[in-house]
Amino acid sequence: MDTTINHQADMTDLDPRPSAALPKRRRSKWAKIRKDYWLYILLLPGLAYFIIFKYLPMWGIVIAFQDFSPFLGVLKSNWVGVKHFVNFFNNPDFVRLLRNTLILGFYDLVFFFPAPIIAALLLNEIRVGIFKRAVQTMIYVPHFISMVIVASMTYVFLTTNGGVVNEIIHELTGQRINFLADPAWFRPLIILQIMWKETGWGTIIFLAALASVDVEQYEAAIVDGASRFQRLWHITLPAISSTIVILLILRLGNFLDTGFEQIFLMTNSLNRTVADVFDTYVYQVGIRQGAFSYSTAVGLFKSVVGIILIYGSNYFAKKFGHEGII
Amino acid sequence: MKGKRSFKIMALLIIAVMLMLAACSGGGSNNNNSGGSTGNTSSNTGGQSSNSGNTGSGSGPAEEKPAPMKISIMIPSFSTELPDKSSPVWQRLEEYTNTDLEILFTPNSSYEDMLNITLASGDLPTIMNVGKTPSVISAARNGAFWDITDYLKDYPNLSQAHPVVLNNTSIDGKIYGIYRARTLGRMGVTYNKVWLDNLGLQPAKTIDEFYNILRAFTYDDPDKNGKNDTYGVVITKYTGPWDIMQIWFGAPNKWGENENGELVPDFMTPEYREALKFFRKIYSEGLVNEDFAVMDSAAWNTPFVNGQAGVFVDVADNARRLDNAMQEAAPRDEPYTIVTQAPVGPKGHRDMPTSGWSGMLVISKSKVKTEEELRRVLDFLDKLNDVEMKLLLGYGIEGRHYDMVDGYVVPKENLDAAITQELTGMNQLLMFIGEQEPGFAPTPINAQIAEVQKANEAIVVGNPAEPFVSEVYAQVGQQLDNIIGDARIQYIVGQIDDAGFDAAIELWKKTGGDDYIREINELYKAAKGK
Repeated sequence: MDTTINHQADMTDLDPRPSAALPKRRRSKWAKIRKDYWLYILLLPGLAYFIIFKYLPMWGIVIAFQDFSPFLGVLKSNWVGVKHFVNFFNNPDFVRLLRNTLILGFYDLVFFFPAPIIAALLLNEIRVGIFKRAVQTMIYVPHFISMVIVASMTYVFLTTNGGVVNEIIHELTGQRINFLADPAWFRPLIILQIMWKETGWGTIIFLAALASVDVEQYEAAIVDGASRFQRLWHITLPAISSTIVILLILRLGNFLDTGFEQIFLMTNSLNRTVADVFDTYVYQVGIRQGAFSYSTAVGLFKSVVGIILIYGSNYFAKKFGHEGII
Repeated sequence: MKGKRSFKIMALLIIAVMLMLAACSGGGSNNNNSGGSTGNTSSNTGGQSSNSGNTGSGSGPAEEKPAPMKISIMIPSFSTELPDKSSPVWQRLEEYTNTDLEILFTPNSSYEDMLNITLASGDLPTIMNVGKTPSVISAARNGAFWDITDYLKDYPNLSQAHPVVLNNTSIDGKIYGIYRARTLGRMGVTYNKVWLDNLGLQPAKTIDEFYNILRAFTYDDPDKNGKNDTYGVVITKYTGPWDIMQIWFGAPNKWGENENGELVPDFMTPEYREALKFFRKIYSEGLVNEDFAVMDSAAWNTPFVNGQAGVFVDVADNARRLDNAMQEAAPRDEPYTIVTQAPVGPKGHRDMPTSGWSGMLVISKSKVKTEEELRRVLDFLDKLNDVEMKLLLGYGIEGRHYDMVDGYVVPKENLDAAITQELTGMNQLLMFIGEQEPGFAPTPINAQIAEVQKANEAIVVGNPAEPFVSEVYAQVGQQLDNIIGDARIQYIVGQIDDAGFDAAIELWKKTGGDDYIREINELYKAAKGK
């Protein structure tokens, strides 16, 4: 398959016809399209997917500037300008939500983002093939466990009424720690859960990048007397640095996406002050209270911040000599 | 070359897997079909018998039968094993009401979400069970439902609906739905009878006695196993028990009048604070399960049934369910549970009522276009209140799910799960308006429940703001409720003190609470002035 495509592409590039004049070039463009029309047809379903499921629904954003009522529809609902945004920024909840979301995003970046890189580097150093594959498979498994199950497992292990962890702590120290209800434990729990669940899965992409490192470089380094750590620092890390940067940019774009499910499942009356984030707030006011316009405005605000972050980080990545994604 | 071969093998594998999947799903649907058809044959006979019943009593609804009307109806469900069209109960219901029914059972835990999403989609089922939530109110104002205020009087059962409850369910003075009635004084305190007997105690008459029982259940080894493995009352994330108990202490039911005749929210009253102090005390002494704030309410019954907790504060009829579950584990002649009214508190004998209704059935304008169709839907709802339907949907088919003994319903024991499933959840369709059906035989526990609920009617405390629709609450109600709800739990477990609770009240006022109080009082004055 691949060879045929390349072949055809080469053919078109080698097109001998002159292409100086504009109409001619346009014609040649059409000629190209005609020649490769199968490829364009293959492209159509993908395009249709993005237009139908990603771009068309975006028109729904307009309800953020209306007092939307489903029974009047988008066309007949009243336009209110930026009223909902003003309300949101003046709401006492706003600061709390922003703080909780930023702190969780920051923790996620600092503690969870490096975890798969470290795990991949460690795996890369394992020499015994079967052991390496066994470990890989083991750490992939949690990825396939639903967040609901993870949350209930956390409850069963950590509850103060007979949870295993608390029983052990009680035996050792005579005290019990209320992990589930103590606000101080909320963020560590969230990060630990996500690390347990996703670290293994996250190594895949780094291991793929590591596989492409030329073995001869290592051999040369060994001949030069480089230690294991020096090899890691000077060969392995630079080899995967562009992958790391691209993933970091993508991650920053989702900086405010703290994940609804997990937060929602772990929230209770005692830790809500630190647990409320934009995602759960949108659910609460949008779905539970039916304030569609207001919650759309909140969601839109979040998305705009996401876009700014992704472009900003991309800009800086390019500035420091890395490849960006845009 | 090698690559091509492995590609072929891969393709073959994929095709094989797909074929297997297709075969499996085909088998599944086949099974379903056969299940359905057997159900049909058995129920056909059922249908005929009910038909003959109709002609026998001579109360056939119409001379010539129009084609069955298609009606879809969305109601909450509390189970995952639900009936489908093959259920004879379902078929008899269609036969009796001459309808083609589609019952949309929606899990109760996510009912509110599903309801809001359905409302937002604009494509509503014919009938929906809704509460008076902000989105429902706005939908009603925007003309999503039929205003049935002037129609009810034309129907023999619906015309008997209670005017006070109708007023509570009304929106802007108009009636959009028919409420599903619930016993007003439904609450009760359930104790483990065995434990009481072991300790030589009686059910509590006062709050002090109640406290003593909790202490004895926690520290005096009520199950006589020599271990310190029991506690008093089991509570979960669901805050119902706290709501009930604070009424005992004299706190108003959500809103109460102060000395100036103005309404104030319950948590601003000194009685509420007294109740909170009591809760904090019983929590710190270990009389309540320590993890109540994070415990899922689905597991509420478990500690009581397993003999870890001995007191249960909820609806009185839960005494029967708890007893049933304990009897299943180890049958005994006497009931395991005993249920009583609330203990008497400092402000007299008080208890929390239900609001008298649990949702109302509204009729959507998107499915029901003409008045003629509306009449037929109302006729269907009216028929659901006939005694025959109350028996059918509440207890099943005589001879199949229950027997009639001396005019009482006696459920058949050890029914096959498949037969029980034919009936599960169908009672959610009932509104319980009009003539009452014959109920369960008065077994000791049923008699107690009936007695408690009857006596409760004299002591329940109403919510004076129940009929009012607040704009502020529609906007920020959820946040307001969270502020106080969370502060209450934090106070009980000792995370905050009185100053912290006062701070929460200040935050509540600032978040919109002040406007809420003003608005409710304006509505209250207007209603009193009338």
